[in-house]
Formats: sequence, structure tokens, C-alpha cells
Amino acid sequence: MSLSKKLPVVIIACQVLQNMLERLLPNGLAQQVTFMDYGLHRVPSKMTWTLQDAIDAIEEPSLVVLGYGLCGNGLDGIRAGNHTLLAPRADDCIAILLGSRQAYLREFEAVPGTYYLSKGWLESGSHPLKEYEECTEKYGPEDAAWIMDQQYQHYERLVLVTHSPADMEKYRPQAQEVARYCEQWGIRYEEILGSDEFVRRLVEVAAALDKADDNFVVIPPGGEIRQEQFIQ
Amino acid sequence: MSEIYKQLSTVVLSGNVDKTPNIVQKALIEGMAPKDILDNGLIVGMNEVGARFKLGVMFVPEVLMSARAMHAGLEVLRPQLAATNAKLTGKIVLGTVKGDLHDIGKNLVGMMCEGAGFEVINLGFDIPPARFVDAIKEHQPDIVGLSALLTTTMRIMGYTIKAIEEAGLRDNVKIMIGGAAVDADFAERVGADGYGSNAVKGVELAKQFVGVV
Repeated sequence: MSLSKKLPVVIIACQVLQNMLERLLPNGLAQQVTFMDYGLHRVPSKMTWTLQDAIDAIEEPSLVVLGYGLCGNGLDGIRAGNHTLLAPRADDCIAILLGSRQAYLREFEAVPGTYYLSKGWLESGSHPLKEYEECTEKYGPEDAAWIMDQQYQHYERLVLVTHSPADMEKYRPQAQEVARYCEQWGIRYEEILGSDEFVRRLVEVAAALDKADDNFVVIPPGGEIRQEQFIQ
Repeated sequence: MSEIYKQLSTVVLSGNVDKTPNIVQKALIEGMAPKDILDNGLIVGMNEVGARFKLGVMFVPEVLMSARAMHAGLEVLRPQLAATNAKLTGKIVLGTVKGDLHDIGKNLVGMMCEGAGFEVINLGFDIPPARFVDAIKEHQPDIVGLSALLTTTMRIMGYTIKAIEEAGLRDNVKIMIGGAAVDADFAERVGADGYGSNAVKGVELAKQFVGVV
């Protein structure tokens, strides 16, 4: 019955998944791939509008693959319109970078106070050290230090997630620089080799929607993404 | 008089930790009632902070500095408020649920509830359901406040409420929830009595629960 065969596939994803998606997407699967700016999740309501606008701008009824997790409810309330929506059932990109919800929950249960770094987050400057520098510029060193304390003092672990030993080598120095800054709160540094399994499965399901299992959220035309679809 | 209220809300909104206590002091010297200084000045500013944060025109650092200014203002008001609030409004046990270590919003709610005359028992963060149950037994609060920032941990709110039910304590307390991940629908689904979309709303809810409006 595979409905998706009839539908053109359009991908709208966070830049944080760009490398993995580009590597795993078979030629010709997607008619259109758009990578959105990092950090839309910082203001979830803006993320919702931005993605909604991008979806609404697609003219032909399509299978729209969202390369996002729930991301602080950024996906909550997005309407499918004429399209079918597909998204990984993940709280945020960490589960996607680690390869599965299960892998994420394992890490989460082991050390809830974990701050994750990835190639994308390092390159876009989304990490405590950069934040400190920006705060210092805006509010001066004293207030900046206080602001950072308030936000990070309870964290225990900083983890660099990459998807190859070569990337681990490449991003380690920058991650370790962040780690040195975070030592003031007793935060320790670790590395995890992630998995592309979640993205691989997402691409498979995009090619054949009937393969979607409960690791994915599928919204038919006229439907709407709801937070509870992600909260199992 | 309204000029000083305006000044107070402005210094809270701009997060001015030095000016806020000074203006509160000035207002007291001019003979203004502590409750009016709080409700018509400091809280008006904090309400605007909540609204701007939601819209994404104010970010966490600014909210933190506003909270700090609010706190400095409240410190000046505290003895005066204690004298006028002859009787405590009620008792609240507050905590961030297990697995979640974000406590900025929860602490702000606690501080503002104290300002409104509540006794606040702040359990801290990463609090397992059993500790909420124990705290209810020990402190016999009117209200339990649960906080979670993450969608990953919001489900723990449901487990916590269930544990309170199973301990036979659910009818003894009103439960309110708050935090970036949750909303009114979720509050209903997990069986909470209410949801506060920001700190000011949280205090209003707590006041409603104990019949003080």
C-alpha cells in the first residue's frame, strides 16, 4: 500500500544532523532537503512557527521528514496541512546522535546531569564556554560568572558525541577546552562514539512509510503533532 | 505613587540588583504598604519578565538577573511582610523531579511564594517520588509544587503524583506543576490540580488553592 511511494519526499532538518543525513540519504530519495539553523529550540515557540512556515511553503502534497526531536516542545502543535509528517520519536537530538531513545535513556539514567557536545554544537558555538564569553561581553565578567554558575553548577558530566574516531580526534581539543572551563563545577569530561542507527532508520522509513514502528511519529494530512505522541 | 511602582517594575525587568532594594527602601520610607510594593511594583516587573521570556525576546541570563533583583527587593520587604502577614498564607513543599537538575524557575517560584506569605519547604532538585511522599508526611503542606524543565523528565511528574496517591496522601494536598516542558493539558493528564506558566502564575495558583486571592 506504501502511500509514501506516491508522495514526494521533502526533508526539513536541523543542521546538527546535516552530516549524517547527507551521508545516509540515497540519491534521488528526497526532492528537496533544507537544513535549518542550529539552535531554533532555544525559543521553542519560534521553532514551531519557523518549521510550520517551511512546511506550509511546500506546494505539492508530500511526505515531510522532520529531522528533529520534540526539542523542548518545538514540534508541538505543528500542523500537517496537505502533507504527511514523519519525525523520529525522540525528546531531542541527543537521542538521535546516540542512535536510539534507549541509548539516550541509558546515559540519562546513569548521569542525568550531562551536557552534550557534538560537532554541530561545537561549530555553531552552542556550549558553556562560548556562552560565558557572550555573557561577559554583554554583562561584564562578574555577572557572567554568576549567570553561568546558576545554570551549570549542578551538572556532573560533559560528553563529546561524534560518529567516527577521526571526528573524535578532530573535535577533542575544542571539547576539552570547554571541559577545562567546566571543571570549576566539578564537571568531568567523557567521550561517546554515537551511532547513526536512528537516522539510518529514519531514511528507511522515509522511503517506505509502512516500516514506521513506534520509534517514529507519523502524522497524516490534516493532523497535528502533539507533545503526548512523544511522551511514552 | 504610581511613579515608584513603575520604577520598581522597571528595575526588576532590567535586572538591576543594586537599584531594586534601594527603591523598595524608598517606597517604605514614603509609607507605602509592603504588600502594595510587592504586588504593584516587583511582581508587575516579574510578570513582564515571564511574558517576554515566553515570546523569546528575553533569555535565561536576563531572567536570572531579574530574579536576583526581585530577590534583593524581597529581602528588604521580608521583615515588613512578615509583620503584616499576621498569619501564614499556607505551606508549600517544592522540588524539581528526579532526573532533572534545573532549579532556576522552581527557586523563583519558591522565593515569590515566600513573598506572598507562604512557608516554603524547598526540597531542591533531582528529588525522587519517595522524598516528596516523605516530605508531605513530615511537613503536612497545603500544596506540593513539582518542577521539570525537560520533556525527558516531565513524565516523572506523573510517577510522583502516583506515588503520592499510593501513599494515600493525594487528598491532603493540592498539586501544582510548572517548568518549560509542561502545560495545562499535561497537568490534567497527569492528575495535577493546576499549572503555572511562569513564576507569577505559580504564585497566583498557590493563592487560589488556599483561598487567598
